[in-house]
Amino acid sequence: MVSPVAERPAAAPTPKSKRAAPPKRHFPWFVYVGLLPLFALLGLLAYYPAFSGVYHSFFDWRPGFDSPFVGLDNYREMLADDLWWDSFKNLGYIFVVSVTVMWFFPLLAAELVISLRSERLQFAFRTILIVPLAFPGVVTVLVWSFIFDPNDGMLNQALDAVGLGSLAHNWVGDPATALAALLVIGFPWVASLPFLVFLTALQNIPKEVFEAAALDGCGRWRRVISIDLPLMAAQMKLLFFLATISVLQFGFAAYLVTGGGPDNATQVPVLRMISIAFQGSDWGYAATLSTTLFVITALLSGVLTLIRRKENSDVRAL
Amino acid sequence: MSERSDVLTARRTRAQLRPLPTEVRSGGKAADRSRRRPRGGGIGQGAVILVLTAIAVVALFPYLFMFMTSFKTNRQFNDSYWIPTWPLELENYSTAWHQIQPYFITSILVALAAIAGTVALSSLAGFLFARYEFVGRGVLYGMIVMLMMVPPVASLIPMFVLMRDLGLLNTMTVLILPHIASSVVLATILMRTFVAQIPQELFDAARIDGAGGPRMFRSLVLPLSMPIIGTVSLLTVIGVWNDFFWPLLVITEDKLRTIPVGLAFFKGQNATEWGPLFAGYTLASLPLLLLFTFLSKYFLAGVQGGLPGTGK
Repeated sequence: MVSPVAERPAAAPTPKSKRAAPPKRHFPWFVYVGLLPLFALLGLLAYYPAFSGVYHSFFDWRPGFDSPFVGLDNYREMLADDLWWDSFKNLGYIFVVSVTVMWFFPLLAAELVISLRSERLQFAFRTILIVPLAFPGVVTVLVWSFIFDPNDGMLNQALDAVGLGSLAHNWVGDPATALAALLVIGFPWVASLPFLVFLTALQNIPKEVFEAAALDGCGRWRRVISIDLPLMAAQMKLLFFLATISVLQFGFAAYLVTGGGPDNATQVPVLRMISIAFQGSDWGYAATLSTTLFVITALLSGVLTLIRRKENSDVRAL
Repeated sequence: MSERSDVLTARRTRAQLRPLPTEVRSGGKAADRSRRRPRGGGIGQGAVILVLTAIAVVALFPYLFMFMTSFKTNRQFNDSYWIPTWPLELENYSTAWHQIQPYFITSILVALAAIAGTVALSSLAGFLFARYEFVGRGVLYGMIVMLMMVPPVASLIPMFVLMRDLGLLNTMTVLILPHIASSVVLATILMRTFVAQIPQELFDAARIDGAGGPRMFRSLVLPLSMPIIGTVSLLTVIGVWNDFFWPLLVITEDKLRTIPVGLAFFKGQNATEWGPLFAGYTLASLPLLLLFTFLSKYFLAGVQGGLPGTGK
């Protein structure tokens, strides 16, 4: 997304302008000096940890002591780790919900906002709807954990107030509802990237398309199905992959609200990895788990980049 | 409603007068009408506003409840759960502030340092990548872009071990440096794109006036890049205010905790003292809310992965 834009203006003028020495190879030492601090920092805190993680996943890593090479033992252990794979099952649920229900409301809201005639109202609603994004994630999660509180929580109080007290429940303490409760956090999820992307996409559809559709007698629902959704296919694909990647990082809400419990009902890979490292002190195995997450994410990002590149060329071809 | 009759008329017209599209297109009235209601459809405006309001109320209610309860004593909370009460219990705020103040200060210091580092490194790198031709430019830039694919959780474990080996646990450095390292990646990409779009004429003019590279960076690139520097700074602040696992793992000393982790501990200490607890949450939200209010455009750009200009 970035490089094609950047490439053109940067590459074109250089031959014409008379900076550096034109004919011989460009070795401006000051450029390398200027980039040195950046790469020093990245080397220490980005490249090295990534490599160290992969490297040590083949060792019985005991930081500070000697760490014997154990080959693929850690990976074998991972294959037999039921808790680890169960945590991926939870991720599966989280993923399905996050690309269905969690898209429905943003899409609905975006369609409604775009249906407003007054530009001013459009702007006002868009702004109000995304206000929750301005709250720190921790605050949102903690407030929702209060909503689920068995005694004082808003949910049980509300049920009580309308005479449904019998339905009151320890929502996050019951393995049957804990994961669902975690997913409800942030309902109706309109203050989210999907909403902004849908809205921008809809706003960018040329008016003529809608006018032509209206002339052909296309109703509002028909328009959503036959025009809006197909035209947003590219954005949907993008969001879909972003969702897979962000779901893999899911963990902090679970840590705060349920701690992965009860009975591992909300266990997710990130929490499992952290508990293996910090409670189990099994650093080599933790490195294996983190390498696995890393590889999965990198593969998905690779696919994402390919998709984006193809999209760009599609756009230009039109 | 009138919209529907519009559509009906249009349909009739089309059925009767097939070969008249030019008139529809050029007819001043028709064009005028469609401009006024560009994207109507069968739904009444009133209903749209109603449903949107309902969604907004549902979405904001938890925060409003938090704000309301932050002014209540425990007794007021129990007696009138759903409605605001009088008098306001301002004590809650002083209690909360007293406890979260260190987290606040740490977070602000970390954010400022991280912004300074990120902006300094990324603006220079962005300038060099965008405006200089040198051997290895593509490879070096590719190495930075590649880092976009490394998820933060994947380097959590090795990074922790590294920091422990360096003896940096429980210091400000351990909070600041990784933040710079993670936010500088996107920042450099954004800066490079931005600087590459500055017209070449400006650089040529500066060169003719005798400006060298450093001078062009200082007097041309930096002032022009203010919007993107703003976006980058906001991204960094949002990052500091949302990063949870890293400060949780590397900090055990209470006054070095940042807001996210601090709030979690704050909650632990105030179990069911909802008043002070919610006062604390409100205080902790203020900085981002203020930034959102005054810099909403950059804020959104930040949320959308630093693509300024998306959304209106």
